[in-house]
Amino acid sequence: MHAARSRYHHSTAITVMDEALMWAIALLLSVSLVMVFSASIANAEADPATNSPYFYLMRHMVFMVIGLSAAALTFMIPMAWWQQYAGKFFLFAGFLLVLVLIPGIGRVVNGSRRWINLIVLNFQPSEVMKLAAVIYAADYTVRKAAKLHSFSQGFLPILMAIVVVAFLLLAEPDFGALMVVMSITMGIVFLGGINLRIFAGLALMAVAAIGLLIVTSPYRVKRVLGFLDPWEDPYGKGYQLSHSLIAIGRGEWLGVGLGGSIEKLFYLPEAHTDFIMAVISEEFGFIGICVVLGLYAWIVRRAFHIGTEAKKLERYYPSLVAQGIGIWLGIQTFFNVGVNMGLLPTKGLTLPLMSFGGSAMLCNLASLAVLLRVDYENRRLMRGFKV
Amino acid sequence: MSRVYTPRYQQNLKPAMRLAPGRVTVVLLLLGALLLALLARAIYLQVVQQDFLQNQGDARFRRTLLLEANRGEITDRNGEPLAISTPVQSIWASPVDMELGTVPAAKLQQLARLLEMPLDEVKRKLSDNKREFVYLKRQISPALAQQVMALEIPGVAKQQEFRRYYPAGEMLAHVVGFTGVDGKGQEGFELTREKMLAGKHGSRTVLKDRRGHIVEDLAVIEPPRDGQTLQLSIDKRIQYLAYRELKAAMEVNKAKAGGVVVLDARTGEVLALANTPSYNPNNRAVLEPEMRRNRAVVDMFEPGSTMKPFPIAMALDAGKVTPDTVFDTQTYRIGPATVRDTHPKPAMTVTQIIQKSSNVGSSKMAAMFSPEDMWTFYRQAGFGQSPQTGFPGESAGRLRDWQNWRPIEQATMSFGYGVSVSLLQLARSYTVFTNRGALLPVSFTRLGAPLPGKSLIKPDTAKKMRDMMVTVTEEGGTAVRAQVLGYHVGGKSGTARKLVGGAYAANKHIGLFVGFAPATTPRLIVAMMIDEPGAGAYYGGAVAGPAFSNIMAGSLRILGVEPDAPSNNTLIPEHQISEVREET
Repeated sequence: MHAARSRYHHSTAITVMDEALMWAIALLLSVSLVMVFSASIANAEADPATNSPYFYLMRHMVFMVIGLSAAALTFMIPMAWWQQYAGKFFLFAGFLLVLVLIPGIGRVVNGSRRWINLIVLNFQPSEVMKLAAVIYAADYTVRKAAKLHSFSQGFLPILMAIVVVAFLLLAEPDFGALMVVMSITMGIVFLGGINLRIFAGLALMAVAAIGLLIVTSPYRVKRVLGFLDPWEDPYGKGYQLSHSLIAIGRGEWLGVGLGGSIEKLFYLPEAHTDFIMAVISEEFGFIGICVVLGLYAWIVRRAFHIGTEAKKLERYYPSLVAQGIGIWLGIQTFFNVGVNMGLLPTKGLTLPLMSFGGSAMLCNLASLAVLLRVDYENRRLMRGFKV
Repeated sequence: MSRVYTPRYQQNLKPAMRLAPGRVTVVLLLLGALLLALLARAIYLQVVQQDFLQNQGDARFRRTLLLEANRGEITDRNGEPLAISTPVQSIWASPVDMELGTVPAAKLQQLARLLEMPLDEVKRKLSDNKREFVYLKRQISPALAQQVMALEIPGVAKQQEFRRYYPAGEMLAHVVGFTGVDGKGQEGFELTREKMLAGKHGSRTVLKDRRGHIVEDLAVIEPPRDGQTLQLSIDKRIQYLAYRELKAAMEVNKAKAGGVVVLDARTGEVLALANTPSYNPNNRAVLEPEMRRNRAVVDMFEPGSTMKPFPIAMALDAGKVTPDTVFDTQTYRIGPATVRDTHPKPAMTVTQIIQKSSNVGSSKMAAMFSPEDMWTFYRQAGFGQSPQTGFPGESAGRLRDWQNWRPIEQATMSFGYGVSVSLLQLARSYTVFTNRGALLPVSFTRLGAPLPGKSLIKPDTAKKMRDMMVTVTEEGGTAVRAQVLGYHVGGKSGTARKLVGGAYAANKHIGLFVGFAPATTPRLIVAMMIDEPGAGAYYGGAVAGPAFSNIMAGSLRILGVEPDAPSNNTLIPEHQISEVREET
């Protein structure tokens, strides 16, 4: 009905959806198609198990179609529903994290038990947990708004939840997902108005916990050392990072051109997944990095703007959800690119909307559908409709 | 939505709700800072560390490939191949680019089996993962290399190489020489003309993917410059003949070694040069230093009577004697030493002195000159000087300084003792007689036009010398067996006792014959040496004469040289040859 309306009132109509945001997403997805193809073509062709240059491209396209369909369905879900079922959704995500740890259900790849085999795709429950963290933390913050100054009543419950999730994620292990989940949760309670002193204490604890983890698990220490100086052992533990850095260095300002990457020719492992940014940097240079990061920045900015709009309408829960999604996208992008550039230790995090991978694509698109839903509801309210 | 539902956030609108705008700004600033950190890091990597990173990258995927130049052929004077390169393959691996653990054990076993190497050795070579290049096996057949490549082991590659093949085999091994496994010359002309034959390798700088495929050419390909063809002066037909005859003579005479040099009498080009024992350059599994030595060029010996024509030519040229001048050839003494002939005659003409090879006669002619003059004459005939063919280890012979000569030494030097020469030097010195009195330089490469010689005696003297030297092969001469049907042959035989530990051995000889034909307008010089003949006969005319005759006859026929003698200058039947022995 409103669609019909806007067609007749071009000059004054507020568009139904955030078109600029949709364009940014569409652009990133297009870049993703091209770059996943470019980065995977050599491996796909040479590997007898795949045996077709289009192997990853075709799969990636199927994932995108599935993801976009799921996003369309997710968009239909009103924010009120999300808030009502936030707790249950969080428990469901937690249940999946338990499920993946059961041998026979969870699949082990590269030493981590992160995947549930759903025949069509390997499903990664930690991706669901990221969205659940947004949905639940926002609900928690709004529910406990009055008690956020208190440690025991305002803060301890969510802390317990995070600790449980942390144990589950570390059991896989998936340190990267834990970092993202913690960032999302902390960001939301911070934005929700938690007592700054509690927050500072919590932040300190988090840093201490991370430090402890690094010291107690030797394989993580190894990763940390490898990232600090990949040139110390460039053919051993620094192998992947050194090749990523070489790829970026080869890109210079303008890149070597699409398809011109050498690193993707069997040198750089995970070129089409976790290290796709290195291939983008090699082929399109600093300009390419600016364009891609600019698109992410734009989406994050829009997420916070939508959140602020929602707050103005006194819709605190959607506001925090929108900003939580912004934090998720922003922080995961930073982690992934930071790993590619050797700023952070290797974690096994994908680049949202860009890397090859079914469940990440699905969850990212679904979360952006939630963001668009918040925006949609804002616009409805601004025009005097009910949501 | 059909259900009436009041969202909880509307119930919870409390003043305590602190969604402070300030905190949004803090989070956005934090995220912005992270973005800036990434961009700064990107600039640092892509601009500041650019060179370092690209060098690191180059070290991993930039490879400079050698484009091998084809080695030039060596041919004889008629273009017949003497050394050619045949394609073979070498199998190499790049341990840096492979992970040994990922190669199936069965494939490694197959690889070891195909290369006929122990499996452990293959593994050891492949596990040295710091190296970019290691040969697994060199110079295998293209078909076998194909089988190895069919295993498709990543990091294992083949490389085309060339192996030298010598069609002439052992008969020309000493002149042509051979190349080592790296394709570089190690002996003979393969060594001395290395630069010309090798050409210049080109290079190609490429980017390779991790599996060794070439992705991109980085720089302009520098094409290889192929080696040039080296055309020797050797005539393969004459060489073959010479080697065959030499080998036969060796067997007949049960000799230790032997050599033959065939020169073009008009140009000084070496048409054939053979030594025994020789070796097969295509299969050097058994190669002893004895076989490897190019004796005709490297070894020196005392030439004995083959030296006599020089003091005689000197006396003739100076007008001190004529062919018919008669000398008293009775035994005489110089100080405590006696100069004698084996079959003394009271008097001989100069012609007879050559024909019968008289020590007394030639020493008397030498005595007509001062040591300095004789030294100069010998020197100008090429003795004591390197023939400058550029051959490795070439011997200059030995001609002592005239100032130290005692009279007896000047006398013995006239019949070839106290002076040392190489067979090549000796053959060359005879160009003085065949080439209008001028000494020609020797050349192993085919000459467009003959090089100018250095005049030593008058053309007329040279002619007289030739006429006198023809009598050597005629009845009454010392080398009747050197005769050739249809041609006048001039020459001089020689039999020298070998010096063993500073003293002349009684039973170790060198039998020599150096001659030319047709004697009227000489076309060829053949110098033949038989070292330590052990079958009874040891006189030069007897041991070297028959082989000389066969080589000379065959070569003249091959070259189509017109006969200068009636075809009924029939050889004297073997039993009628009156053996006249030259002095030893």
